[in-house]
Amino acid sequence: MAKSFPTLALFAALLSCGAASAQTTSVDDDGFKQPLRELKFNPGLNQREFERSTLSALEVHDPLESWNRRVYHFNYRFDQWVFLPVVDGYRYVTPGFVQKGVTNFFSNLGDVPNLVNSALQFKGQRAMNTTARLLFNTTLGVVGLWDPATLMGLPKQREDFGQTLGFYGSPAGPYLMLPILGPSNLRDTTGLVVDYGINQQINYLNVSEASSDHPEIIVLRGIDQRSTTSFRYGQLNSPFEYEKLRFFYTESRKLQIAE
Amino acid sequence: MSFIPRLAALLGTLLFSATLWAADIDAQTYGYPLTNPFEATIATTPPELRPKLPEDADIKQADYRVRLRPEREFQLPDNFWAVTKMSYRLAEQNGPAPLIFIIAGTGAHYSSGTPEYLKKLFYGAGYHVVQLSSPTSYDFMTSASRFATPGISRDDAEDMYRAMQAVRAQHPRLQVTDYYLTGYSLGALHAAFVSQLDETRRSFNFKRVLMLNPPVNLYTSITNLDRLVQTQVKGISNRTTFYELVLAKLTRYFQQKGYVDINDALLYDFQQSKEHLTNEQMAMLIGTSFRFSAADIAFTSDLINRRGLITPVDYPIGEGTSLTPFFRRALQCDFDCYMAEQLIPMWRARYGGGSINQLINEVSLYGIEDYLKNSPKIAVMHNADDVILGPGDLGFLRRTMGDRLTVYPYGGHCGNLNYRVNSNDMLEFFRG
Repeated sequence: MAKSFPTLALFAALLSCGAASAQTTSVDDDGFKQPLRELKFNPGLNQREFERSTLSALEVHDPLESWNRRVYHFNYRFDQWVFLPVVDGYRYVTPGFVQKGVTNFFSNLGDVPNLVNSALQFKGQRAMNTTARLLFNTTLGVVGLWDPATLMGLPKQREDFGQTLGFYGSPAGPYLMLPILGPSNLRDTTGLVVDYGINQQINYLNVSEASSDHPEIIVLRGIDQRSTTSFRYGQLNSPFEYEKLRFFYTESRKLQIAE
Repeated sequence: MSFIPRLAALLGTLLFSATLWAADIDAQTYGYPLTNPFEATIATTPPELRPKLPEDADIKQADYRVRLRPEREFQLPDNFWAVTKMSYRLAEQNGPAPLIFIIAGTGAHYSSGTPEYLKKLFYGAGYHVVQLSSPTSYDFMTSASRFATPGISRDDAEDMYRAMQAVRAQHPRLQVTDYYLTGYSLGALHAAFVSQLDETRRSFNFKRVLMLNPPVNLYTSITNLDRLVQTQVKGISNRTTFYELVLAKLTRYFQQKGYVDINDALLYDFQQSKEHLTNEQMAMLIGTSFRFSAADIAFTSDLINRRGLITPVDYPIGEGTSLTPFFRRALQCDFDCYMAEQLIPMWRARYGGGSINQLINEVSLYGIEDYLKNSPKIAVMHNADDVILGPGDLGFLRRTMGDRLTVYPYGGHCGNLNYRVNSNDMLEFFRG
């Protein structure tokens, strides 16, 4: 029975091939719709487009690869043994609405550099949008614990100094894997430092100043950020996760800068 | 003959014939909006047509690790430290409940999208749920597979069976009333082989087994998937690669939208926009994702078995060693190449020769045809436009499964699993 089957399938294929020339969408006797029939294939089946695309996607400037890989493994371990257990504990002891409030509070603070960087890139509408968000969320939303602006149709639009640098044509520079913070590059690391400086200078809601006396605020911010980031090391489940992460990071930053 | 007996006779015939023929869902009443199989495969169901699922926060779940192959810790290079023990995810109900195992599809991790969705669906219906990685996935190959050369379905099922037993042994207090089993894509084929193994080992006595979109002839399926990257895609030139093409489309889409918003509806929404991908481009995208799985399998299998095809034997690999040169080599190997270079040689060496047709018959559903025919507890749900099937495959399922086969008119490959009609059918099947 099983032996005769390939012959049967071949006959079915031949028969339905004949029918295909008569009508564009044909259905086999057994109800199979042959989805591949309508595709245009490269006649020799020898196109190397997948290989070409992927090989060129592997070309990311990464002179510190050996160091970066070690940091990647450090982050992976830190995540599994320290960070995620802490995040799980935080989620376990904190009621859902409090977590939401914490997330909103830090997200509202984050709108300050978003505004500065939108303005630096002369993105008028985006700057207005973020200004309105800051106003509504800080007043109506009680210092940002609640996010009424999103409900009013003012979505959060991220802009950081790395994007501003990219907007003015700065190249990404070498790829960097930052301890704990994860994938970055020279340009975006500079951006991180500048954004931190902006926060210190503006000292919005007095949080930056309070943080220097109470480092637990910074810890809470870190936990909140890890809790809202869904990425897990090992989730791409590939021996080549490092390469894939590097590609995704580089491309998603390009997309954010272009947009 | 008066009217009533005639009606009764008619109904009787209809009922009788219904027990013989597969349930074909009518396209009009089905109501699934994506009639393009490639679109369905990539975007799956629009969010408003998905079933209501429990929130992650309401599920009592955790990831666990179990040591199945202690020697791997010493055989594998340092940078594989994370996958020397098998990981899985268990979601527990309070008190006694039936338990369902979910086997992931080709190369997929237990925490990837589809197993997560199935977990929520079954957890919401009151099951304990165990999610397991596919025997073809990187982590399962390194931590749970004896030969680390997936493709011989019987061996893969045996590895899977041991993994399931180890999972049960790790939770002696879990109160389980009955065991159920499901899998999608290649995981569905594994589920059938596992179920057959269970008939003799009797460790679980699975009450019901559901196969979602299984491959029928494995060789047809891998040939189809390998072929998907051979489509003629418009817009590729010497200066633009396929990825750049897709990313450029995505960038323009976000620019028109005004902001970046990544959510469940993104792909569906993107396909409705002006920047949507053509069939060839979508096929290429699906093919690309499977080629990455093939590369992972080829690399991992070669490394563990020290075959020296991709990684030179005894090449020193530490945490800082670049794997990119091996990635470059591995990604030039598709499923067919993996089969020719690694699977068939190993199979011949272990089982004393045999032709490629013998191998195909043994590892495909043909190998357990009689078992499938005579096991009322197994059912198949499939789509008429699934890209992994070839001509005649549905016919085989119809002959073998009879009325235990449900054929949906649309959905591509697994695209309609999260459609409300399908999820209801799945729960209904397990309810019995």
